[in-house]
Amino acid sequence: MPKPAAAVRARDLLVGYGGAPVCAPVTFTLLPGRVLALVGANGSGKSTVLRAVIGLLEPSGGRLEVLGREVDERDVQFRTEVSSVLDDDAYFPSLTVAEHLYLVARGHGVLGAWDHVEDLLDEFGLTEHAKSLPVALSSGQRRRLLLAAGLVRPRSLLVLDEPEQRLDQAMKTALAERLRAEKAAGGAVLLATHDPDLVRAVADRALHLSDTGNELLTAAQAADRIAQVPA
Amino acid sequence: MTSRTGSGSDDDLAPDDDLGSAGEGEDFDALDGDDALDGDDALEDGDDADDGEDDGPAVPVGELGAVPAAASIRKFTAQAGRSRAGAKLGTLLGDVYYAVISFAIAAGGAVGVAQQLRVSLPPAPDVAPPQGLSLPALVVIAFIGLAGALVSLAGRLGPVSSGGAEATWWLGLPVDRRSLLRPAARRVPLVAAAAGAAVVALLDGALLADDGGRVLRAAASGMLAALALVLGTAVAQSLGVERRRTALVGDLTLLAAPLLAVALTLVGTQADALPVPSWPVLGAALVAVVALVVLVDRRLGRLPSRTLRESGSVVGQVAGAVVSMDSRELGRALSSGTSAPVRRRVSRLWAVRGAASALVVADLVQLRRSPRHVAQLIAAALLPVLVTVVPQLAAPGGVLVAVLIGGYVAQSATGEGARYAQIAPVLDRLLPLSARNVRRLRMVTPALLMLPWSLLVFAVIGRWAGSDGGWLALGVASTPVWAAAAVRAAYRPAPDWTKPLVATPMGALPTGVAAVISRGPDVVVLGLVPTWIALLVEHVSSTVLIAQGVCSVIAVLVASSIAEGTFMDWMARQQDLAEKERAAGRTGRS
Repeated sequence: MPKPAAAVRARDLLVGYGGAPVCAPVTFTLLPGRVLALVGANGSGKSTVLRAVIGLLEPSGGRLEVLGREVDERDVQFRTEVSSVLDDDAYFPSLTVAEHLYLVARGHGVLGAWDHVEDLLDEFGLTEHAKSLPVALSSGQRRRLLLAAGLVRPRSLLVLDEPEQRLDQAMKTALAERLRAEKAAGGAVLLATHDPDLVRAVADRALHLSDTGNELLTAAQAADRIAQVPA
Repeated sequence: MTSRTGSGSDDDLAPDDDLGSAGEGEDFDALDGDDALDGDDALEDGDDADDGEDDGPAVPVGELGAVPAAASIRKFTAQAGRSRAGAKLGTLLGDVYYAVISFAIAAGGAVGVAQQLRVSLPPAPDVAPPQGLSLPALVVIAFIGLAGALVSLAGRLGPVSSGGAEATWWLGLPVDRRSLLRPAARRVPLVAAAAGAAVVALLDGALLADDGGRVLRAAASGMLAALALVLGTAVAQSLGVERRRTALVGDLTLLAAPLLAVALTLVGTQADALPVPSWPVLGAALVAVVALVVLVDRRLGRLPSRTLRESGSVVGQVAGAVVSMDSRELGRALSSGTSAPVRRRVSRLWAVRGAASALVVADLVQLRRSPRHVAQLIAAALLPVLVTVVPQLAAPGGVLVAVLIGGYVAQSATGEGARYAQIAPVLDRLLPLSARNVRRLRMVTPALLMLPWSLLVFAVIGRWAGSDGGWLALGVASTPVWAAAAVRAAYRPAPDWTKPLVATPMGALPTGVAAVISRGPDVVVLGLVPTWIALLVEHVSSTVLIAQGVCSVIAVLVASSIAEGTFMDWMARQQDLAEKERAAGRTGRS
């Protein structure tokens, strides 16, 4: 049986803005069915690495492959297989919560899209808000909507930027459960986080980023490292 | 791994659940009464949609069919917007009628002004002055400057963009991006074409032409040239050229125009007439533009999300600024992302000796790092200079208008620091200075920059008027007014849309907005009255100098004020107070 292509393979990857790198060169491999957490202080480059992985930022150096190919988000296959949830907070003012999810699901060719939308609404506690316009949602509910949108479509790689932000504890637990299911289904997850509990619950390994050097840690080590950082 | 099933037959897209009855007891029919959005029919298959490759995504979500056409994605979103907009047909027709009437009145007014200007212009002298500029040459230079401005603007706006919700919810879909972006790709070229036709026709009609056929050909030329420039910018965008580089090319072209004019003036080269392309030439140009349209359309799919998102963010900011008539926000929007995000070196700010000097130095550094504003300052200085060397325009009225426009454009480039401080007041609060002192100090940088501007412009005006000394003194005396206007405009409050509308022949005027956006221009117009008088009589007397000095002091005092309200607000408050006192007096007597 052929070895599965890595979901993400980064070799000496340099990312930054205006030619100035935000962290030391990054090297890691994320296989299908695995979760890698990017951890580090504010400004250590976690989100910047994620933006490079999903093609929103041109790397300044090194090599980066996603699902066995160079990153090109213009490629339809890339958009089919890579699902990302960043910190975007933009919504169509005239589309309801359910319609936003339906748009994503059907846009990816999902048949029976409404069934999946219903399931996700229920899972993310948004059923009561299915007919609400985004303006009627709280900040945390809008965050749930974005997370649901990342999961209502098919994917091989799920990229999440601080998914725990603005979620209550119950929803964080549910999210961890969901990410474990993602692993079990063979999906790869790359997430940036400041939440030690989330790292401990779902991550196989964690990459600690800093401008002096990056360190590959176990989930427990990473969780301890995050917990040591004063709030 | 799952593969997509089917190849886009009707069965594959049949609604697998009705939008109006999904879920037990849950009504998902959010778009009540809009049949077009019922169920999966709302998103139809696309002929060019990708059906996936051999391996499907590792984590499937049910069974996959063909992805819908990009057009149906747009249609779905647009229909939802229309269905919930709450606008009735009558309202829509009323808006269209109002827009058409407003446009017709504006166009009629502009044509009238152009005709009046053409009639009032004196004929060209039989013998051209040795160091002068002919009117056709000036018009050519204006076209070059406008072309630069258009390229700069198109580069800053994309010109193809996708912002906000569209970027978040559309660009990640595996649909044909070309088709998705097509409407967005039309916006800027169409606006540019209309503006190009109007501006070229008005300039040609007002200054050069006296027959309708020629003006029509000039308008067509302007439209095609504007289209070609914007489409060229779009091709550059699709080739990965950074926005700031395109904008820089435009800025440099804009700056080159007045420098070219000065060079032509010094050399004494004259153009007696400006030919307009014939219809066959215009036909050929049209073919070239159509080819560019096709090229841009084919390359739309090559535009990466990151540039679309960046441009979309700017377009959203610009649209908000235009709708709210906030020129400061417009300036900030057009400046965003066009300078290098990381500087090569950190400024040592050696001149900072305390809070006051920190503020002034910060403003100067801010301006130095904004090439657009430096170019604006230089170009604005050359405008009045050029008007004085074009025989047909070098009348007192023409020079006055040139000083007014040139000065206003120049001073608006000098208030960058104050503009940013207005949107982030914490910047001003960081230093141990009173709000009034902050405003006074914010006038230092505009004054330092407007002083050489004034000396250059008024030296040339002195040469035009035949005497030097008095004009230079007037330039120095008027400098504080420009600085005061820059700061007053930068710190003006947000437009107040709650005030009543006043009906005018040009349409409804929102008084609350007008009162706010007039802050800054009011100081220029009123504070420079002695200068305007001197320009009209072509003479500077000591009385004028004293009067200008007094006006400058008043202008600085006005700009130092931290009161937010307008003079009319103050009057209204005084009236309210007087009425309350009268009422209290009556109550006391009774």
